[in-house]
Amino acid sequence: MDLLQQRVNQAHASGNYQPVIDLIPYAGVIGVQCERFGEEMIFRLPRNPDNIGNPTIPAIHGGVIASFLELTAAFQLTLQLEHPALAKIIDFSVDYMLAGLDRDTFAMCTVERQGRRVANCSIVAWQERKSQPIASARGHFLLDSFSSLT
Amino acid sequence: MSDQILEKCRRFIGALAHMRKLQMQVIKADEKSVTVVLPVQDQLVSSVFGTYMHGGVLTTLVDTASSLSTIPALKEYELCPTLDLRIDHMSTPVISQPLYAHAECYRVTRNVLFTRATVYQENPNKPVAYAISTFMRPGGGNTDPAFKAIVDGIATEIEPELKQRQIKAGRV
Repeated sequence: MDLLQQRVNQAHASGNYQPVIDLIPYAGVIGVQCERFGEEMIFRLPRNPDNIGNPTIPAIHGGVIASFLELTAAFQLTLQLEHPALAKIIDFSVDYMLAGLDRDTFAMCTVERQGRRVANCSIVAWQERKSQPIASARGHFLLDSFSSLT
Repeated sequence: MSDQILEKCRRFIGALAHMRKLQMQVIKADEKSVTVVLPVQDQLVSSVFGTYMHGGVLTTLVDTASSLSTIPALKEYELCPTLDLRIDHMSTPVISQPLYAHAECYRVTRNVLFTRATVYQENPNKPVAYAISTFMRPGGGNTDPAFKAIVDGIATEIEPELKQRQIKAGRV
């Protein structure tokens, strides 16, 4: 069994997803975490002074928010695939709705369609409540390209 | 003039915590465009996979470069938040080389700035990603004077007043 499959299986069994998240270094740099609620995965980006990109408000760097959304989708796909693989990004489009304040941010990804090769994802990020998102994104991921990694 | 723009961009990037964390640097800036580099660094290299997992960090680089390209496009510094960012990934960047982002602001209107950026490694003519973004202009007087002073090089660090406000808000 390859390493990724092993880590994903262990994570599902134990509820500790950190070993999977640690596979992508930048996720560790910004501090992404993941928690499972039944079938749903909610990703958390804890408040981190190193993520500030606008010192006046202060607000989280727009790139960090976009990356958080992108990583949320990548991990969601990795964790729900029958044969876990690291999905490769094709394109990504982010809408910014509110300034991301210097506090915890949450994100959820919905896989709108998962084909054999491509998955369509939409992701939403919020701080206070989900109905008031700070940013949303949609993106396409290639699913069959990372077998060489494992 | 180009030197002044370069200095202004460097002061902007130097004021942002996340840019310092990633050691991002402005290597070129003129009236038209800005080039930013993300150096190869251990914190971005996966110990498990032998490849460079650029997951996410390319997006941060693009957002930064695009945001910087609004500086030479405006007479006076304005802090413009990103409205929309779209990236197409054409190929996967390699582990062993720095990542460059070249961005230009090609249109300025009363309320919105339009930018485009390419991300490349060895060859600028073979981009690994292409991005377009839009930024909102904050409107007259809405850019924090203390932060503008830092970018303009009048103040060197966060002014006491600004810092005081941040402490009050529990954000320092």
